[in-house]
Amino acid sequence: MQVLVGKRAFLTALFVFLFVIPWIANEYHTFVANLILLYVILSLGLNLLIGFAGQLALANAAMYGIGAYGTGLLMKHFGLPFWISAPGGVAIAVISGTLLALPALRLSGIYLALATLAFAQFTFWLMTHWTPVTFGAGGFIPPPIDFSPLPITQETGIYYLSWGAALVLYVFAKHAMESPIGRAFVAIRDGEVAAQALGIDLLKYKSLAFALSGFYAGVAGALYSGMLGFVGPESFDLLQMVLHKAAVVLGGMGSVIGSLIGGVLLTVLVELTKEFKFSIEVAFGGLLIVFVLFQPNGVIVFVRRLLPGWNERLHYVPPGKETEEDFGAVPETDPEAPAEPDDPAEVPATQPRGGGPV
Amino acid sequence: MEYLSYLVATGISTGALYALVALGIVVIYKATQVVNFAHGEMFMLGGFFAYTFHVMLDWPYLPSFALAVALAFGVGIAVDRVAFRPLMQRQTLVSVLLVMIGLSFVLKGVARWLWGGKGDYLTFPPLISPEPLSFAGIMVMSQQLVVLGAACAVMVAFALFFKLTRAGRFMQATADNPKAAKLVGLRTDRVYMYTFGVGSAVAAAAAVLMAPLTLLYPDIGFMLFIKAFAAAVLGGLTSIPGAVVGGFLIGIIEQLAAGYLHTAMQEVAAFIVIMIVMIFIPTGLFGLGRMRKV
Repeated sequence: MQVLVGKRAFLTALFVFLFVIPWIANEYHTFVANLILLYVILSLGLNLLIGFAGQLALANAAMYGIGAYGTGLLMKHFGLPFWISAPGGVAIAVISGTLLALPALRLSGIYLALATLAFAQFTFWLMTHWTPVTFGAGGFIPPPIDFSPLPITQETGIYYLSWGAALVLYVFAKHAMESPIGRAFVAIRDGEVAAQALGIDLLKYKSLAFALSGFYAGVAGALYSGMLGFVGPESFDLLQMVLHKAAVVLGGMGSVIGSLIGGVLLTVLVELTKEFKFSIEVAFGGLLIVFVLFQPNGVIVFVRRLLPGWNERLHYVPPGKETEEDFGAVPETDPEAPAEPDDPAEVPATQPRGGGPV
Repeated sequence: MEYLSYLVATGISTGALYALVALGIVVIYKATQVVNFAHGEMFMLGGFFAYTFHVMLDWPYLPSFALAVALAFGVGIAVDRVAFRPLMQRQTLVSVLLVMIGLSFVLKGVARWLWGGKGDYLTFPPLISPEPLSFAGIMVMSQQLVVLGAACAVMVAFALFFKLTRAGRFMQATADNPKAAKLVGLRTDRVYMYTFGVGSAVAAAAAVLMAPLTLLYPDIGFMLFIKAFAAAVLGGLTSIPGAVVGGFLIGIIEQLAAGYLHTAMQEVAAFIVIMIVMIFIPTGLFGLGRMRKV
């Protein structure tokens, strides 16, 4: 049992399944599978920022859009091939993401959320109104992508690029979050002052968190422009932001494998909601409410409860909820730091201020 | 000059409404340290409630106004019950914000379902004849004057409520020092609940006043929320006079941006103000001059 449903076996099965989909499934299902891969990338990137580094930024959909617009527009305006414009679009997304870290150094919590929200809306406005460059509200069709000499269509090519990107970015996120970088992120999330006292450079790690999430969103955006063959502002609106948040919360904040599951579940749920013509706003707004209220650590908690092998080194434990079960399968050297509320005044007196051992 | 004065006059009358919505944001923030992300939806629902009574059921304007405000008060209490109270004790700010974002989308979706889909704009009949008046050389819509007057009346009523009534003083006490308020026997949970209610009611009042000047659609709430938040943050986010001044300033700034730069600038002026204020003067014009660091 343990072997069959181990984390590694599950991941291998999932990626092998996604690899063969273009051969066995119809066009629509392949499209959905491609969307799944993109949402996995998006929710991984957002989770690094929100779940690990604890920065509530609301500009992820804008970064996604910047990646898509950057790629598409470089192809459209300068006639560059996809191989050059995609890294270009990603680079623009990373730069804008890193710039967002500047307000994050001064602002936190609500101020940061709203400053980034204003940035996201500003980006959306640019996409809609800067017609000479972005082609306005109607969007535009980027030139077709040539995969020659490979004998594959654009759809298949983008699909396997997404597959490879999702796999590489998943492995990267997993290892990065188990490395000192991940621990620094968690330390910042659990208490900025304590993190600084431990010698963690806030400027460096906050910028890194924003740059990484910008990178992930930019890659997803670049692939999105190739996958859809159309780029328009309405793909990157507020609803998209809520979908990204829902994917992270659904899977599990601060869990890399959770983001993978969240991305998959979210895409399937979005397609089902469309199928049944139910309001996407109500469905995913409601999902966000229900999960944050009743299971703030996402579906990964249920999986961990059944399969201890799925525990992660740095998984998030809400304040006051640490149980034997959560720590049971974790090695003693585990650097788990119990999270604590933002307001230190709320920390019970028995708990040391500024977070546990990091 | 005439053009400028026209722009400023329009800015003042829309600014009064932003000020009202900003008041709600500030009152809730002061009491709870949380910005109600669903505040714009309170505005939107207020407008739709009034539309239901005034247009669909053909009631007179004033009873519709009163009932819409009362209903929005109820919705505000529901927001407290769903999003704030369960999370206030045990969870982080991130959770509260995520629930509020979720709530704002649920309310928007429900409004779309009840009152029409994307692109459906409902019109609200004007209150009085839309004849423009010439007032000391400045052309103003009489409608705008009525709205401005009513908005100022609501602001005064709001200020008096805080200064004179028991409930208002309870709210002030809780906002100033929740622990001390609890110590002297205030039921702070209830105070928070009524604060959410009052904030939403003021937003709804703004919506019912604004409805005859504009169109109603489910996405209007977010637009108003961002503008009102810009006003609140310009005023320092903790200052009630700041919110009022900020509201008028945002109204004027966006009219000037639209009039002299580009019409599309009207939509984006608020975002730019938010970013500039947050990065360079996070305490705003009337802020406390200190931000909590730890």
